[in-house]
Amino acid sequence: MSTHHWLSALIIALAAAGPALAQSEADPWENGDDWGEDPWAEEQAGWQWYGFIEGAYAGRTQSDPTLKDDATLNELRLQLEGERQFGRFDATLKGDLWADGIEDGGRGDLREATLSGTLTDQIDVKAGRQTLTWGTGDLVFLNDLFPKDYVSFFSGRDDEYLKAPSDALRLSWYGPVNVELVWMPVAQPNRYIEGKRLSYFSPEAEQRTSASVDPTDRDEFVDDSEIALRVHQTVNGIEYAGYAYRGYDKQPSAQDPSTRTPYFPRLNAFGASVRRPIASGIGNFEAAWYDAEDSQGTDPNQPNDQFRLLTGFTHEPVGNLTLGWQYYLEWTQDHDALLAATPPAQRKYAPEEYRHLLTNRVTWQLMQQDLTLSLFSFISPSDEDYYLRPRARYRFSDRLFGTVGGNLFGGQDDWTFHTQLEDNSNLYARLRYSF
Amino acid sequence: MRSHTLYIGAALSLAVIAVPASAETMTDPVAIVEAANEASYYAGDDGRSAARMLITDDSGNRQRRQFTLLRKDVEDGGDQRYLVVFSRPADIRGTVFRVEKQVGDSDDRWLYLPGLDLVKRISSGDKRTSFVGSHFYYEDISGRGTAEDRHELVETTEDDYVIESTPRDPDNVEFARYRSWIDRETLLPMRTAYERDSGEIYRRMEVTEVETIDGYPTGTEVRMRDLDSGGETITQFRYAEYDVGLPDDIFSERSLRNPPREWLRR
Repeated sequence: MSTHHWLSALIIALAAAGPALAQSEADPWENGDDWGEDPWAEEQAGWQWYGFIEGAYAGRTQSDPTLKDDATLNELRLQLEGERQFGRFDATLKGDLWADGIEDGGRGDLREATLSGTLTDQIDVKAGRQTLTWGTGDLVFLNDLFPKDYVSFFSGRDDEYLKAPSDALRLSWYGPVNVELVWMPVAQPNRYIEGKRLSYFSPEAEQRTSASVDPTDRDEFVDDSEIALRVHQTVNGIEYAGYAYRGYDKQPSAQDPSTRTPYFPRLNAFGASVRRPIASGIGNFEAAWYDAEDSQGTDPNQPNDQFRLLTGFTHEPVGNLTLGWQYYLEWTQDHDALLAATPPAQRKYAPEEYRHLLTNRVTWQLMQQDLTLSLFSFISPSDEDYYLRPRARYRFSDRLFGTVGGNLFGGQDDWTFHTQLEDNSNLYARLRYSF
Repeated sequence: MRSHTLYIGAALSLAVIAVPASAETMTDPVAIVEAANEASYYAGDDGRSAARMLITDDSGNRQRRQFTLLRKDVEDGGDQRYLVVFSRPADIRGTVFRVEKQVGDSDDRWLYLPGLDLVKRISSGDKRTSFVGSHFYYEDISGRGTAEDRHELVETTEDDYVIESTPRDPDNVEFARYRSWIDRETLLPMRTAYERDSGEIYRRMEVTEVETIDGYPTGTEVRMRDLDSGGETITQFRYAEYDVGLPDDIFSERSLRNPPREWLRR
């Protein structure tokens, strides 16, 4: 049976069983007077298990000449999460198993395997495979140089899959200022678009392609390590943070000129952010300097230095309606040198000196928050392209959730960030039963 | 020294609570409302409680929420700090909500989403919107500033002070007025009825169970009914404790990622 059929079967089964499973007339509280099952309130013996089963299908809104599959997502997924307490420490395991109709066969992904807890009054630690996030952007990342999974994000999976896990040691020190240090013993790249599921534009081939990308790995233990630092404090409701990163570009953005093999060039970054209430909303400002290997900008096979800037505002003009606005700038340094060094035929594919991006998020909650409608729009006036993420999520019960939405790309020139993904535009449906 | 101050503080607030029971009938509506606000939301210098909600919609479908609530007063009747750690249902387990309640100013609110390891800051926005999908509003959980309404004592019955409150800024709220039945002994609002301009009641709160915990009468079961839709939410509080000595520093970003287990234990 193909995954597609599994999905249909699951949807039918869950639609029938979901309400019945979620209801228990005899005991409306489901756990009577026993308030157990509260991992915060009681020392739990042994492992506690949670999870979900999800069926998801995303169909392209048009066929992709480079890929035979008309779907970007077609899977039946099981996630299991286990937690166990050891005194002041917690062990967490979270893993996904799924039958994948795009990359035919069974797939697995260990998303978390950590030991975390409080070392001293001032120090928390989390060691192992974990999801890491910081910075103030909404789906825009400057100082957050932890790995992203753009393949999942663009192909129709849940938002939580945008973050790929990192193998890392995270130390947090809480004092007059708070310091967080994350050490990743080997480089943790993005799960970048590489042809299997989504097509992209290749400047080499001068067209969209689904050819696989096979960069040189950065997998030498310690030698290829990355380190990220955040210093932060909140003063009178204003959150200040400073950031530093020493590691590698998350994308295989450079190329060995002799072998044409892509690789992850060194990237160091530092930046700062402020987030605070402004008027009746929340304002955020973040800036970052990306210090690339090719500081002079004379090597077209490597990215140049960049200055990145983000400013945003979120507010709730009326109850249950939230609006978010962001302006984001990528300013490529030594742009003239880059163009001069780029072969004339390739020049049009070089990044714009100033890449402007505007984003808007509309979130509207209805029906006692059971229904959430949202639209996230990315629009770049400089690239003349766009990316729209409409979504409707319905909560049938505490256990059953249905989501439909889309990832819609378009624009002027085939090679810009969003337009290159045009043939991957998709509409998706997901049904999740959590337990 | 510190424990002495706490002890005296607790003794004083106990006295404040205890006095009206035997004192003369109160006649100043503002004093009654302020006393009711303190009795409902400011018992002790701090407090913690487990809570669970049973949300029933108009078609009888039920949802549940379970969380632990930690609270510390910056000032009696004034600013407060809240930490709400969710344990049920599975999709919001591990979500932590932190509020710096600032009377007369907008609150600072943060939400931690464990799936993304994301600390989200939420605009204080409209406090009269649903708290986690229930029929309770944020404002019902953390209290409505007493200065936001004009209060009038319409009746003093054998058991209750009946107060009618009208908003100073009617454009910011969905009600035209509300009436509260405040228990003369405990000073807890036992019933509240929210009215439209027409006088039609569309929303009712009712305390259905009161227990005295650490000397503080506490509403341990509260029902909120939406008369328009027919839906309702019942909230139960258990394992409540007051004056537990919650430290200030647990109300911080640290607790979002690593909830303060020693203070969440029953």
